Amino acid sequence: MEALILELKKEIIEVLNLEELTPEDINEDAPLFVEGLGLDSIDALELIVLMEKNYGIKLNNAAEGRDIFKSVRIMAEYIAKNRTK
Amino acid sequence: MNEDIVVTGMGIITGLGYGKKQTLEALRLQHSGIGKNNYLQTIHADYPVSEVKMSDNEMRNFLKIPSEKIITRTPLLGIMALNEAINEARFDKNEARKIAFINGTTVGGMEKSEQYYPEFINTEHYIENHDCGSSSEAIAEYFGNFDMITTISTACSSAANAIVLGANLLKTERVDVAIVGGTECLSKFHLNGFNTLMILDKAACRPFDATRTGLNLGEGAAYLVLEKASDAQQRNIKPLCKLSGYANTCDAYHQTASSPDGQGAYLAMQNALYESQLKPEDIDYINAHGTGTENNDLSEGTAIMRIFKDTIPPVSSTKPFTGHTTSAAGSVESIISILALQHDFIPANLNFNHPMPELSFQPVKENITKKLQHVLTNSFGFGGNDTTCIFSKIE
Amino acid sequence: MNINIASYCRLTNHKLEVNDIDIQIQKTEASSLNDIYRHLNLSYPKFFKMDNLSKAGFLASELLLKNIIIDKETPKKDMAIVLMNRSASLDNDRTYQTTIQYENNFFPSPSVFVYTLSNIVNGEIAIRNKIMGESSFYISENFSPEKIYSAVMNTFSDPNINQVICGWVDYEFNECDVLLLLIRKENQEKIPFNVNNIYHLYT
Repeated sequence: MEALILELKKEIIEVLNLEELTPEDINEDAPLFVEGLGLDSIDALELIVLMEKNYGIKLNNAAEGRDIFKSVRIMAEYIAKNRTK
Repeated sequence: MNEDIVVTGMGIITGLGYGKKQTLEALRLQHSGIGKNNYLQTIHADYPVSEVKMSDNEMRNFLKIPSEKIITRTPLLGIMALNEAINEARFDKNEARKIAFINGTTVGGMEKSEQYYPEFINTEHYIENHDCGSSSEAIAEYFGNFDMITTISTACSSAANAIVLGANLLKTERVDVAIVGGTECLSKFHLNGFNTLMILDKAACRPFDATRTGLNLGEGAAYLVLEKASDAQQRNIKPLCKLSGYANTCDAYHQTASSPDGQGAYLAMQNALYESQLKPEDIDYINAHGTGTENNDLSEGTAIMRIFKDTIPPVSSTKPFTGHTTSAAGSVESIISILALQHDFIPANLNFNHPMPELSFQPVKENITKKLQHVLTNSFGFGGNDTTCIFSKIE
Repeated sequence: MNINIASYCRLTNHKLEVNDIDIQIQKTEASSLNDIYRHLNLSYPKFFKMDNLSKAGFLASELLLKNIIIDKETPKKDMAIVLMNRSASLDNDRTYQTTIQYENNFFPSPSVFVYTLSNIVNGEIAIRNKIMGESSFYISENFSPEKIYSAVMNTFSDPNINQVICGWVDYEFNECDVLLLLIRKENQEKIPFNVNNIYHLYT
């Protein structure tokens, strides 16, 4: 799980253009949206693309993402359970 | 210049049909142009779209464009619409008038570029026709006598902004006639783009409905001919209506989402009312931007409540008829608003069933016959680009 | 009432000049816009999500408005943004196309799609500074001081508008070509806004 969490942090930094952050700067239990990293609706959509592209998990709408993207750890747990890649 | 700006010609082509007559008939009979894609080759066949029911070849034949002439779908739609507008305005080519052509488009020639991209070396002429400006030039070239041509590219408010610019050019007496509007054809590029933003609906769109989940894309073109009232009188041409007021503002909130309190929309409507010297209660009908996305309808609905308070007039979005024609929407919907004005007829907001709990009003469910004096229409684009136009009957 | 050029910023691959002051920055070929951002010590992480066109326009606007807009939160309803370019959003459109080019690697990017519209650069400047007046973007085959002058004077026909951020913002094939001007209606006479002065600031 720790390896997946680190991998996920790196991928999030890359796809969301969080150029000034390193994986160490991201707390895996902190909220990603609103507070925490302050991501917005477009970022959520990019994470949905990331889920499908890298892990073969298809989400059908933005609302599904809301629960899964609560924190990096929650995302990683969901991926570990549902990945097809 | 303090004179009225009047509309002396209009032309339109959308999924509802070609020309004002077919458009009005479709509105009255509640025949939507939205359905399965026929001309656009895309894997996203599960998203309903409103296509113009003519192939490129059918339009070329109608316009007598020789087969060797390279021209893409966006300008073809534009020429079809402009043909009707110019015929109605009855210009005498021999009269010396400074005519501006202001065209709104974003897709340009993209629909051909994406088809031919892998082989572009052999079909480089399509690549030359890719950019927005060349669409405008292609349209202008067909008619041959414009003194000024320019292209506005502000996404879904482009055509409405063309109206704003045209009116300003007339007011500052830089031109005698301003032909304004927009044109856009469907393309895989923007269908995929809107899909990736998750704002397309797999069912027919339902503006201002609590269950709404997105928009349906459409294609089309529409142009208005604007002149000073005194010029129209001098030419002995009866204006269709006047452009009483208009405004363009910026929401300054997000690249693609609208602010929760609809501030940009609020300012656009407020400024347009102020310029037209009308009060909110003078407006008889609002043709809303009403895309059917969760975000727009809430934001726009909130702005409408803030401006109109207890005197909200009938509101409908006609995007369930035409689809969201993006860069052409501002002029397509202005013409629909003017048809409503001319015929004292308010088209229904199709597919509406569940009122939004956040709003104090509902859109009109059925066609309404009502005496209309002033009609307001909104067009909002990505980038927070918000435009309102008000058209009025001439006493 | 005079219409003055209150401030200007010229940004190309070889030059960064603001109100007659040359700003020297070590530029590498690969990421010059990011380098300028860092050099300016701006704290605006959303910058890195922008496409090249928006980055170029945004940076120029930060310099243009430095010491002029101190309060970035108060809505400015009397300020408009009127920009032009030749290549629209083609630079970013090509990037977007790569995400949908191949059937076996088909992942359209929403954040890239956002920038496939030329006027998003207006939006970025407006969001940053809460500018709520008119916002327009025109496509022109070449840089034209006449067209810029004409568009801005048209914008001033709205009596609510007292200031306009205008100019040319183009980015294509790694070439950055930006001239931003802040035009103001003022009582005093300063550098007049006219076609000649626009031309001289560009060349």
